[in-house]
Amino acid sequence: MKEIIKITIALTISCLIAGSLMGGVFMITAKAKQQSEYMNIQQSLFGLLGYDSHHSAPPGLELCHLYRYIVEDESGVCSGYLIPVHNGAETEYVFVILNQTGKFVTQFHIAIQAEKLMNEADRKTAIKTAAGPSKTIRYADDMTIVRTGNQRTAYVLMGNFSGFKNFIHAMVALNSNFGIMGMEITSHEEDPGLGGEIEKEYFKNQFKGKSFEGLQILTVTKDPLPEDYRRYLETQKWQRRRISQTDAEVIGEKYHGADIHAISGATISSVCVTQGVKQLVKNFAYRIDLLDRAIQENKIPAAF
Amino acid sequence: MSKTTKTNTQLIFSGIFNENPIFRLALSMCPAVGLSTTVMNGLLLGVAVLFVQVFSSCTISLIRNHIHPRIRIPTYTLTIATWVTVIDLVLAAYVPVAYKQMGIFIRLIVAFAIITMRLEMFACKNDIGPSFWDGIGMGLGFLFGMTVLGTVREVLGMGTFLGYDLLGFRPMLFFVLPAAGFFTVGFMMAIFNYAETIYKRQKRS
Repeated sequence: MKEIIKITIALTISCLIAGSLMGGVFMITAKAKQQSEYMNIQQSLFGLLGYDSHHSAPPGLELCHLYRYIVEDESGVCSGYLIPVHNGAETEYVFVILNQTGKFVTQFHIAIQAEKLMNEADRKTAIKTAAGPSKTIRYADDMTIVRTGNQRTAYVLMGNFSGFKNFIHAMVALNSNFGIMGMEITSHEEDPGLGGEIEKEYFKNQFKGKSFEGLQILTVTKDPLPEDYRRYLETQKWQRRRISQTDAEVIGEKYHGADIHAISGATISSVCVTQGVKQLVKNFAYRIDLLDRAIQENKIPAAF
Repeated sequence: MSKTTKTNTQLIFSGIFNENPIFRLALSMCPAVGLSTTVMNGLLLGVAVLFVQVFSSCTISLIRNHIHPRIRIPTYTLTIATWVTVIDLVLAAYVPVAYKQMGIFIRLIVAFAIITMRLEMFACKNDIGPSFWDGIGMGLGFLFGMTVLGTVREVLGMGTFLGYDLLGFRPMLFFVLPAAGFFTVGFMMAIFNYAETIYKRQKRS
């Protein structure tokens, strides 16, 4: 009896020491980890826009982040956008609320520093204090508007949609005509080797170059992926033995309007991603139009 | 086995050659067979094991007089798990590039037989100094084994070395498959045993 008490105490103490050590390390590293995750997202964002270590971004490139929230109060559900605005040389932040039909409801000033904007919790607290307790606020998604000079050159959408089991988080880059420049899966819980293939080049690159109009009628086909098309899509894998520029152009032209070829054994995941991306782009085009109109009508000095 | 009489250099060399974890002790065969398909995999896993082995050996040899003999194994597992988690968190925070490649391997180390076995056989009977060098030796031995296996399998299976195209074709695709891991380990064991017999014969004459 005495021994078992000794063992219990010894194990409890060792677990406590181990636990506090792990907790301490977590607390120290949490911030750096968040930072590195943020850098990761930035890197894939630039990657989607076609800038990497070989092609650096032009100097005049500007990124404006917009955060969309669902705002609920007694009058109904609205969309809220946290947008940067110009105030002289300073950049400030304004929360614009639009109702379901896109009518401007109200706007208020948000006091938040640029560094804190990256953090979801800080952002929410700032909005909550400004909006008052009568409104409940829920984070929906965010988007980035890329500008060179005074021209909008691209959009990057961060969104999620349901996959086979759980939500798939994706990043879609659009050009100024809402055509797809590239798609990246940031996180997912699909089955490895089956649905997990959605993050492989041969699947995700199929979305590249689809126009906004073409995307509306895009469907998923179960036909096998043609060998030349696969070779064309897997640019990273064949980097050392790349197909010639002219060949790539011919193949790209040939499969330009092609439907998405489903991953064998993972039709549901393929359909989910295709529908999700379609929906994401469609909703974005609708929302940005409403937001632009509201900004113009109310003369908000938006920074994009 | 009581206190070791070997010097530090002997401890390191015995970890790499005489008591090589993969080829002589035949421990941790699952990762050795499953993950040694490329040189890079082997190297990364070897480095991760080296760190966990050294840290765990030092910890256990420091607290060896306070461990209740009945709960040795749980304590070892707890120690290994703690160090694995710490390394995992630190790498994720400060070396995200390496973490992207190594992330899945690091968590696997908790279940490696070689680390528990070394704690049981060596660290709980020796002072921190020898335990540290034994940990280094065992870690390097594992690293060496994984790299050799990875080299053989990558060159023969894919015709590449560290991702660079070496041969331009794939000599034997079979070597990428898990079954070939056993073959390679078997051949390496034979080579090691043969080298040992020759070495002993020369020493006698």
